[in-house]
Amino acid sequence: MTTISLEDLEARQIDPTKPLLEVDRLVMHYHIKAGDVSAVEDVSFTVHQGEAVGLVGESGCGKTSIALSLLRLLPSNAEYVSGEIRLNGEDLLWLSPEEMRQRRWKDIAMVFQGAMNSWNPVYRVGDQIRETLDTHYRGVMDYAEQRTHMEKLFTAVGLSPAMLDRYPHEFSGGMRQRAVIAMALACSPELIIADEPTTALDVIVQDQILKELKRIQAELGMSIIYISHDIAVIAEVTDSLGVMYAGKLVEYGPTATVFSRPRHPYAYLLLRSTPSITGPRRQLAPLEGEPPDLLHPPTGCRFHPRCPFATEKCVTNEPPLEDIGGGHRVACWHHDEVPALEGALQR
Amino acid sequence: MFKFLAGRLVQMAILFVLFLSIVWLLLQAMPGDIADTLVGNPDIPLQARLDLRERLGLNEPLWNQYVTYITNFFRGEMGVSFSRYPQEVSAILWQALPRTLVLFLTATLFAYWLGFKTGKLIAWNRGLRTEQGLITSGIFLQTVFYPWFAIVMLWTFGFFLGWFPIGRFIDARLWQGSPYNANDVFGQMIISVVVVTLLYALGRYLIARFSDNLVARARLNQVLGILAIAALIIFWWLNPAQAYVADIAHHTMLPVITLGLVAFGATMLLTRAAMLETLGEDYILTARAKGIPDNVIRDRHAARNALLPVTTSLVLALAFVIGGGIVTETIFSWPGMGLIFLQAINVSDIPLAVGALSITGVLALFGHLLADVLYAVLDPRIRIT
Amino acid sequence: MTMEDHPAAEAELGVPVGGASVRQLTDGAELAKTPMWRIRWRLFQRSFATTWGLFKENKMGMFGLAMIGLFAIMAVIHPILMATVWDPAVYDPVNGYDAVTTEFVVVETVTDPTTEIDLTTARLELNPTIKVGDAVSIPTQPAPPTISDDHWHLLGTDSRGRDILSQLLYSTRSAFFLGAVAALTTVLIATTVGSIAAYFGGWIDGGLMRFADLVLLMPLLPVLILLSAMLEITMVTLGVMIGVLSGFGGVAIVLKSQALSVKVKSYIDAARVAGGSDWHVIFRHIVPNVLPLSFLFMMFGVTEAIAIEATLSFFGLLNVPMTWGIMINNAQTNGYLLSGTSYWWLLFPAGLAVSFLCFAFFLVGRGMDEVINPRLRAR
Repeated sequence: MTTISLEDLEARQIDPTKPLLEVDRLVMHYHIKAGDVSAVEDVSFTVHQGEAVGLVGESGCGKTSIALSLLRLLPSNAEYVSGEIRLNGEDLLWLSPEEMRQRRWKDIAMVFQGAMNSWNPVYRVGDQIRETLDTHYRGVMDYAEQRTHMEKLFTAVGLSPAMLDRYPHEFSGGMRQRAVIAMALACSPELIIADEPTTALDVIVQDQILKELKRIQAELGMSIIYISHDIAVIAEVTDSLGVMYAGKLVEYGPTATVFSRPRHPYAYLLLRSTPSITGPRRQLAPLEGEPPDLLHPPTGCRFHPRCPFATEKCVTNEPPLEDIGGGHRVACWHHDEVPALEGALQR
Repeated sequence: MFKFLAGRLVQMAILFVLFLSIVWLLLQAMPGDIADTLVGNPDIPLQARLDLRERLGLNEPLWNQYVTYITNFFRGEMGVSFSRYPQEVSAILWQALPRTLVLFLTATLFAYWLGFKTGKLIAWNRGLRTEQGLITSGIFLQTVFYPWFAIVMLWTFGFFLGWFPIGRFIDARLWQGSPYNANDVFGQMIISVVVVTLLYALGRYLIARFSDNLVARARLNQVLGILAIAALIIFWWLNPAQAYVADIAHHTMLPVITLGLVAFGATMLLTRAAMLETLGEDYILTARAKGIPDNVIRDRHAARNALLPVTTSLVLALAFVIGGGIVTETIFSWPGMGLIFLQAINVSDIPLAVGALSITGVLALFGHLLADVLYAVLDPRIRIT
Repeated sequence: MTMEDHPAAEAELGVPVGGASVRQLTDGAELAKTPMWRIRWRLFQRSFATTWGLFKENKMGMFGLAMIGLFAIMAVIHPILMATVWDPAVYDPVNGYDAVTTEFVVVETVTDPTTEIDLTTARLELNPTIKVGDAVSIPTQPAPPTISDDHWHLLGTDSRGRDILSQLLYSTRSAFFLGAVAALTTVLIATTVGSIAAYFGGWIDGGLMRFADLVLLMPLLPVLILLSAMLEITMVTLGVMIGVLSGFGGVAIVLKSQALSVKVKSYIDAARVAGGSDWHVIFRHIVPNVLPLSFLFMMFGVTEAIAIEATLSFFGLLNVPMTWGIMINNAQTNGYLLSGTSYWWLLFPAGLAVSFLCFAFFLVGRGMDEVINPRLRAR
């Protein structure tokens, strides 16, 4: 078991009521030969200072598109159709490419899916971290200061400072992921986006790293967005939870509420399709059907072809994301009928 | 690293002996007596022929002949040329070797430097208006019938435009009554270039060692490069053999450009493909997320990794450069190994031809070794410390 | 950035390989009653249709294919022309002869023949019967493209009065033949060597790969030049030699790494568990999966073989009647090497024919490469 020590790193003063990142009615499309893929459709949520937010959904539901949108790292065939992404009140979508480049990593850092490939194989890990310091603290830190800083970072994530001089291929999977986290902390960003941060790791390492990440985030006063397909993993470390389906945010609210009382049929079925070791025994309900083709998304509610509650209204009218109390928002015409599903599925 | 190098060297030595054995087997398989093939030219006096038989060990049993053949090669004993009797094969080849080496090296360096740069840029700026044109001309250069291309180049730039001399190594009229020997001057030119290159490399090493700042380092490297070229030009400008050096350099240009252009096409296409492959890697996305400026991502991350497959292909390009070298030397009447080889073949001067082929084998071998070492230096996953 | 990065876009980019159901493959009949070869054939058709669909998207590849088609027509048309409209005495690519005469009008009397450029003029001067203002017909060899009632040479004649077009068409056939022989030999050897090395591993692999290193070390062109000096080389032997030398060398190494990635697939284990012998597994399961890549190398092999043949003929080292390389060799040996544009029909048709045919095969190869390796595909 590795120990982490955060004493050497400066913690940020936070005000949990102040919004840090506001995503407001974001619409993003990909243009491809066959037409437009509506990958992110009318998504809104807010990340407060020091808050941990989770986004879950099947692969291809637009989670990663949102993550890349926030950093404006989308491929060139992507287009922001409308909406705003405000960081501390400043709309990122209106920044010039150069201004945006300076914000990256310094304000928003990212831990990518599959840390194995996040490292350039031909450079030492330390040099790749130094690169971020060179870019964002040019002239502020000299060589020796950079080194000291990186050593602190490595200690913070439980790696030996000597590992800085090693090449990525000399690291094990878990060590690489820790090093990636260290790199994400290098410029002490206000927000970290963790996209499937532990997917490729084995379960024990996965758990360790998630816990450490949680602790680092909480103690250093950073905000974090976790993105995963695994609702159980995410539920343990987040304050708020959003469920995405086919490019839309269908349910959003405090993690405890969403996890224990999901009100969107999709969120409900998603939870029911994963076994829980600690929770009460229950029957697993596989989610039937395929995610929709986003080139031609279904009319009305995008979930209606797979939904057991679907009515005429769901086919024609799109449900709004309504607040049903306590910050719990659901986009479903039949959200009050969902608890009855329990009985229906038992039969 | 040294262990790796030593291992590679041993492997190469074994491969080379095998290569010589195959050449020897080929000689044995030829119709008629091998002794006649190697010494049986009626133009050579009988006594000299008998001496030669003795020297090459052709009176011995087959096995001893084989051993003698291999050891003779390493002692530089390759017999006597038929067509240029009584010149020794080794002496003829020794004179031609530097010219061929210069042709190969400059053409390859030129092609790789320019090909890598162009390939990098067209892959990075995908959809550029010049992209399709460059790709098409790259493919054309790679597939063009090389002898014909060389003829067209010679005609266009040597004959029609008159920018370059039409073939040959030196202008005989200029050198008539000159106090210098062309081979000596050429040798000095090579030495000066090698010395400057070594100094340049040393400078680069020192800069890398003592400067941490990336920007300053890049600028210093630039200055150093300019200084090196300036030093070379000034040195020869002040040299009394100035006009003769210029003459040789002038003659060298067109063959080098012609051979280089063809290798350029292949390198450019390969670099482009390798870059596109690299640009899809996750670490490029990570680098962008890190806020690293685009040109740094292109050069430091993408191009640096694309360099690896391009280095591997150096070996494959070697075969082309050697084949192309023969054609180039023939069409430009460039008196190097290739021209000598072909002339020897045309007059059935087997000892000279075999000698030239074996030396070509050595060149190919060193090329392989160089590419291997370069690859090991570039890729830390291979590097063995 | 390539599109493949993005999960949302993947669906569109992916190859639409229709999951072939058993019913489709057996044409509605019972599986057990359908012969195996028919199922295989249907599967082949299906994968061919998919590949072709992707290949069609590649404009350069299609252009290359069209060019190859054009060359194929050239190859086929020659014997037909020879049998119908072309008189062998005039149009035979090797032994034909036609004296094309050009009419000149004598304009002035030259007193000092040596100061004048054209030898023909000097010869005229020595002929006392010709006066200024007379028209004379002089046989010209090489003759520029001529179309008249008794002479029909679209690309002129060479320095021995032979029709260039006929030579060009005749050579196309031998280029195709040589390319095919060399490429087939290469692929046959390389696929077998690569599959065997990958499947057995161990010392067999080590031995074969060291041998490949050795072959790779042999500079192909010089070795062939030396061989051509020692032996009589014809088209077939040359094709086989090129095939053997490249088949045991670089191509074998590439195909071996492909075979290695096939070897670790689970269906190979399944075939072994089901009791398939080593050779059965190699030739029934590994080789078919290496074939697409070997097909690609066939295209590049054709390019290489044609270029090598043309170079050797250009040096006059081959014992063949007429090829594109020999046409250029003829121009060179007769002193037209630097004639450039003034005798363009001697150098350009043959040089461009070699270049374009290689170009075409290379384009097709590249197109196939993009089908096999989706990352190269354009957005």
